[in-house]
Amino acid sequence: MRSLLVACLGALALLAAPQQFHINLDSVASKASSHVDVSLDASTLQFAAKFLDASDPDEAKVKKLIVGIEGIYVRHFEFKSSGAWSQADLEPIRAQLHGPEWSRIVGVSSSEDGENAEIWLRHSGNKSVGVAIIATEPKEVTVVNIAGNIDLESLSELGGHFGVPKMKTPDKPQKEE
Amino acid sequence: MDWLEEELRRALAREDPPDGFAERVLSRSARGAWGRRGWLAAAAMVVVAFGAGGAWRQHQGNQAKEEVMLALRLASGPVSHIQSEVRGMTQ
Repeated sequence: MRSLLVACLGALALLAAPQQFHINLDSVASKASSHVDVSLDASTLQFAAKFLDASDPDEAKVKKLIVGIEGIYVRHFEFKSSGAWSQADLEPIRAQLHGPEWSRIVGVSSSEDGENAEIWLRHSGNKSVGVAIIATEPKEVTVVNIAGNIDLESLSELGGHFGVPKMKTPDKPQKEE
Repeated sequence: MDWLEEELRRALAREDPPDGFAERVLSRSARGAWGRRGWLAAAAMVVVAFGAGGAWRQHQGNQAKEEVMLALRLASGPVSHIQSEVRGMTQ
């Protein structure tokens, strides 16, 4: 009976919070010079969609992109100096992504500029139901969880918009995983 | 005609109002003015409340929109970076 109650409470917690893994970065936050913390559930996304202008090309893309998304959770940290954080700080997150429902689809790392980025997909049956993104630079750490069905190609196309410069294709990649 | 004049004089004779008549008239008049002011104030409050509610909703909507844009901007950067790296490798 108790286990049933615990299971029900767990199910309720999952329904209330569609975030698919816990972004526990308190150790990183304490060392950061600035941070961004965004948590948007489905109702907030739907509300925001009403204020996105379909006649604006960028906002129209975002409006289309967030259809089917149940939540967006972002933690972004910036540091004054390199070495303020370590890969060990991210291990609790990676440990959660090593569960059977997650698979790492791509990761790139550059030994030259110390940039790393990896994308994990969460599956339910044959459907992808979530994305995890871990991106690090010597002075930046970004962890993203997008719950729901997201088109990565469209998300990628947003790079270069809203003031984010689109990265140039390197002549020779330094290293890839 | 005397009787008619007499009747008219009686009917049109000046008569003093009962005690307190003037006070009662002034009091009712004042209540009416306040009542109208009350309605106007209530109507103005409703208009202000609706206006403030609309402005607040607009503010909240714009804030939510900005947060969505910020979140997707932060998410799209690494994805775009990975895509560029992968394309660079395959070319």
